[in-house]
Amino acid sequence: MNLALEGVTFGYPGRPELLRDASLVMEDGAYVLLRGPSGAGKSTLLRLLCRLEEPLAGRILLDSDPIDAMPPAQLRRTVAYVQQMPTLIPGTVRENLLLPFSFKANGGRVPPGDDALADRLAAFLLDGVTPDSRAETLSVGQAQRVCLIRSLLLEPRAVLMDEPTASLDQRSAEVVLAKAAELSRQGTTVVMVSHSSDDPAGVTRHACVSGCALEYA
Amino acid sequence: MTPHIIEIGPWQLVMCLGFVLLAGATSVYHRLGLGRDLLVGTVRTFAQLFIMGYVLTFVFEVRTVWLVLLMFTCMVAAAIHIIRGRVKERGVPFLVPTFGSMLLSYALVSWLVTGVVVGARPWWTPQYFIPLAGMIVGNSMTAISLSLDRLFSDLRSRRAEVEMRLCLGADPAEASADIMRGAIRAAMTPSINSLMAVGLVSLPGMMTGQILSGTDPLIAIRYQIVVMLMLVASTALGAMLVTGLVRRRCFTKGHSLALRQPA
Repeated sequence: MNLALEGVTFGYPGRPELLRDASLVMEDGAYVLLRGPSGAGKSTLLRLLCRLEEPLAGRILLDSDPIDAMPPAQLRRTVAYVQQMPTLIPGTVRENLLLPFSFKANGGRVPPGDDALADRLAAFLLDGVTPDSRAETLSVGQAQRVCLIRSLLLEPRAVLMDEPTASLDQRSAEVVLAKAAELSRQGTTVVMVSHSSDDPAGVTRHACVSGCALEYA
Repeated sequence: MTPHIIEIGPWQLVMCLGFVLLAGATSVYHRLGLGRDLLVGTVRTFAQLFIMGYVLTFVFEVRTVWLVLLMFTCMVAAAIHIIRGRVKERGVPFLVPTFGSMLLSYALVSWLVTGVVVGARPWWTPQYFIPLAGMIVGNSMTAISLSLDRLFSDLRSRRAEVEMRLCLGADPAEASADIMRGAIRAAMTPSINSLMAVGLVSLPGMMTGQILSGTDPLIAIRYQIVVMLMLVASTALGAMLVTGLVRRRCFTKGHSLALRQPA
């Protein structure tokens, strides 16, 4: 799935512009590492791609169609955004993982059973975390992985991850990065904000936001 | 009971200014800096209530439905003005939907109380409609302020949670359902609490007024029961409509939050 920016300009009201006339095309299955100084607009770029912010000028295209012409719920089912700070609702891990299936727009989807949920938790090295575990008892790193699993349950075609490994130990971070590479190999477009100077395995593109400019290579 | 009203004359009113002087002395003694507010408040109390007294006398004498409805609209408009002062949010235009839903819901409850429950004929009889509607508007004004304040502050403080739901495919109503419930609860709780406390902790103003003017306490309490119950209904109806309409304005057509952190 192609995700593209065409001459996008954005700034928050009353603050300096973060992006000016930015353009790029992310091809099917691209694994894009997004870097830049703090406050340069990396997270904002992800928010623009899932329409949590609207560009002041320019267009964002999904497979050549402007994203503002799509129903927002359909866009966000297709382009999943995993926030930097994991956000869970009070309750069990199961309630959190199945939350998307309670929304009208996802009504046609069959929620996975407990066995499938337990398999997903194990695949992300969430040892000791079961569907019955309380969300309030999870560490930040565990919560981050539960949020990622929750987003992937909707089988999105693009995943936007905002520093997903920032709160993880090395082994858990490796699992998340391996998953990102696997998604990319399967044709899912992955955009990941990272402060790390190392390139994770499988990265196909680099983008850098700095001083209102967006470089893409 | 024989109705007998002791009239309060001008000198008695002047004597009451002694109470204000007492409050003023407290302010001076403790350096509270409330002297100016006390003075303005006292002058406004005299001016506003005397004007209202003359207006009510005029409306009661003229007895036309249009004048009664005009007065009701003015009361709602004044309430909106006060709500605007209490709710600090300026990022979302909330006054027009608030005015519309207050006008509609309070007119409905006022009509139900005067025309159906009390059985006044005609339903807009000013002696019944204006005081009852006034109590509805006055009490619900506080409730609506609380509810809007709660709605805006929770949408800001729980932004990450709302956006998480939006990103998982929720529409604005689904993404803010918990926050809406909290806002409506904030509006309804004071009137429900007053149902518990009435007669034990407080004797409500309307009942007290009726008793002072010579009405049998058993009649006064029946009116008060009607008033208490109508206030619960009007608060619930008003808060539900206002928060429902204002919530729509807190989201863009792209289902993202329109409320921003101050720059």
